[in-house]
Amino acid sequence: MSRTGALLRYSATRLGLAPLMLWLIATLVFLLLRVAPGDPVDAVLGSRAPAVAKAAMRARLGLDKTLPDQYLDYLRGLLHGDLGQGLINQEPVRDIISRTLPASLELSVLALALAAVIGLSIGFSGIARPEGKLDLAGRLYGLGTYALPPFWVAMLLQLLFAVSLGWLPVGGRFPPSLMPPEGTGFYLLDSIRSLDMTALKGTLRHLVLPAGTLALLLSGTFTTALRLNLRRSLRGDYAEAARSRGLSERQVVLRHGLPNALLPVLTIAGITVASLIGGALLIEVTFSWPGIALRLQEAINQRDYPVVQGIVVVIAALVVLVSVAVDLLVAALDPRVRY
Amino acid sequence: MKSAAGSSLLSRLLALTAALGVITGAGCGSINRTDRITVAAAGKITSLDPAQASTVSTLQLLSALGDPLYELTTEGRLEPRLAAAQPDVSQDGLTITIPLRRGVRFHDGTEFNAEAMAFSLRRFLDIGSLSYVVGGRIKAVEAPEPDRMVLQLTRPSTSLAGLLTSVNLTPVSPTAYSGHRERFLHDRFVGTGPYRLTHFSDHQQRLEPFEDYWGEPPRNNGLDLISLSNSTSLFGALRSGEVDVLLSPSIDEDQRHALHQDAQAGKLQEAVGPASEIGYITLLSRGEPLQRKQLRQALALSLNRKEISQRVSYGLRRPLRSLIPPSLSKGRESIWPDHDPSSARQLLQTAGYCNGRPLVVPLTFRSNVPADKLLALTWQAQIKRDLADCLSLELDGVESTTIYRQLGEGAFKAVMLDWRGSYPDPEAYLTPLLSCDRGEQSICQEGEAAISGSFWTAPGLQDALESSDRLEGPKRSDKLRSIQALAAEGSAYIPVWLVAPTAWSQTSLMPLRFDGSGHLLLDELMHAPSRGVSN
Repeated sequence: MSRTGALLRYSATRLGLAPLMLWLIATLVFLLLRVAPGDPVDAVLGSRAPAVAKAAMRARLGLDKTLPDQYLDYLRGLLHGDLGQGLINQEPVRDIISRTLPASLELSVLALALAAVIGLSIGFSGIARPEGKLDLAGRLYGLGTYALPPFWVAMLLQLLFAVSLGWLPVGGRFPPSLMPPEGTGFYLLDSIRSLDMTALKGTLRHLVLPAGTLALLLSGTFTTALRLNLRRSLRGDYAEAARSRGLSERQVVLRHGLPNALLPVLTIAGITVASLIGGALLIEVTFSWPGIALRLQEAINQRDYPVVQGIVVVIAALVVLVSVAVDLLVAALDPRVRY
Repeated sequence: MKSAAGSSLLSRLLALTAALGVITGAGCGSINRTDRITVAAAGKITSLDPAQASTVSTLQLLSALGDPLYELTTEGRLEPRLAAAQPDVSQDGLTITIPLRRGVRFHDGTEFNAEAMAFSLRRFLDIGSLSYVVGGRIKAVEAPEPDRMVLQLTRPSTSLAGLLTSVNLTPVSPTAYSGHRERFLHDRFVGTGPYRLTHFSDHQQRLEPFEDYWGEPPRNNGLDLISLSNSTSLFGALRSGEVDVLLSPSIDEDQRHALHQDAQAGKLQEAVGPASEIGYITLLSRGEPLQRKQLRQALALSLNRKEISQRVSYGLRRPLRSLIPPSLSKGRESIWPDHDPSSARQLLQTAGYCNGRPLVVPLTFRSNVPADKLLALTWQAQIKRDLADCLSLELDGVESTTIYRQLGEGAFKAVMLDWRGSYPDPEAYLTPLLSCDRGEQSICQEGEAAISGSFWTAPGLQDALESSDRLEGPKRSDKLRSIQALAAEGSAYIPVWLVAPTAWSQTSLMPLRFDGSGHLLLDELMHAPSRGVSN
């Protein structure tokens, strides 16, 4: 079978398994939520509400049905793309996700881009003199930022840049005195599209701290990955061959070392962005960033079953899609990859 | 050559950072100042429906968007707002006539009248999540004339007057809510208040002055309310000048203390409202070992409230020995006994404990409430110091949602909780903790006392509770005092402290003050003239 054929078959297999994975995740979340103590009806009406009112609400929300019936209703809705309605304010889960997901994606993508730029630059800067001062600093940076507790760093940066220096906002996504730009929900994009410089400035000011913190924490991974892979690449036979052909060290690094070293970094970036979508909770909580992770946390506290289920399934779907996309990209870029 | 490539990348990175800094204005210390006022609070607002509102933030927001029938002054007097005069109560106490103000309009232009008020009240009684506080007291709501509403009661009720000040009974436009007569409307609010809502999201709300407001117009040009998800953010936002007003009961104790000190040093302003939240410990009286009254009494005597208040809150949470806040009991009533470890020891010895056989009590606290944990640790240390051979506390932190779910199942021997009455009346504190629909001897099997997790009642207690709501003046005060004495004797609840709503603002704002119901008067706030802000 040709390489392209093998790649297509691999892609089809991965994508074909995705629904099975999503079903397993959805089922697990459904069951775990029902096992967890806490009643959504109490969360809506309060524990002191009359039993009649509680029973009426339970019936209206379908919580009076047997567990298998609730599960079937849930799966039926899921198959039709209906994630249900939030129990607390009856808002469609799809609307909640479409409002909060862009916030998380905007933060994650920007943080990742920043992390890549910072991390790769630092990782690359030490290559001129291995084991030199710059290389050592890069190694320490890689290890240090990886080991830093996210919550502590976030609070420290918040206290320094927002509270003490007052340079940046403490939290939130947009200046409270302005109306957020309308459009896709990606404020950065919407501000640029509407050429609204005030909105753009407000958006950027609010992005700097959370995105910068996330970037700082992630950049070490890029630094270490690039350092190690680049050194390995430059010791490879093809690098030696290039040198013996008379290529300058700069050409060896840029043409042969870097492209090979960046492939594993691409995989790391893919895994990171997938986990960031739902995993930036501490950053979202610290900076009051109204993203999907913060919303998920609130929904768990309120025992808002449909919202938790919907968000988890969407995050899981994104993780699967991103990891498949990264695999395919790596396979397309690296001729050595076989399936 | 190789280092050139690296340094080139680094210099590009520095240039990019500098460009971003210029765009965002970082480093200029620039904070946008407008003639609007930014108010920050903790917790997002999920529903704007007054029939469902229960959180402090939501009630505060609704108090700016709507008007209640009456308001409570800081002196505890009932003053008409949408009502035109004091309620007229019939001789038998079963009919209350409320004259209504004329010339009032809702934000959508609909006229406010008795029909509109009756619509809102009936809606609250039908779907309101707090309608249980009204109980079966209101039999019918009538609107015989456009400016007169009549409430027919099932029994005379003194506390109903306090209920009429509740934000939950704020009238809503029958036109705007015609499709939501029997269901909640979460993302809009159309009332009669000094502000109208122009933008709503769960983390941010924008309020503009209502041009056709019947009363005195707001002194500022609008409000921006934001919710921040943690105490440090709230604290930092006020300290850095990013927000004008901070209103939150959920500020951590250290930060609350720091803000208090800032206010005392003149760097900030601080306003304290009437204390309406009580912190207390519920003891399970229907099972081993605390079904024995003397053991509960011993626990009550082992608690040093003053020390706890100092250690936990720097004295900002006032020690409380009553289930009713002093502002509602016309004075500082101390019904529960004070700290007395020797009496506690005697009780425990009589019960067969001490001398190598300590009573071990599991104490559950809400793990997501920092003050609770501090209280638990301090009390545990006090007992270890004073009664080590007789008593011991085993601490267990549980998330609050789980606690509230399992409270009525009798899952906790001793648990720390708090309570804020839905309206300013002693009944709003005593009934939810002590009322019992079905009980045997001192065990309540069905009713509020069971839901509260104590399962405690006493012969004659329910009758006393009901009769207190028919009395007025000193007779009522005496009755309430006797009810509390009974509860203190039973010791199924141990009141610990009192929490007052507190707000902080920049010194450039004035005046910062609360009304008698504990809502900050946002419409009175204005920037000081020296700042050159026009209002």
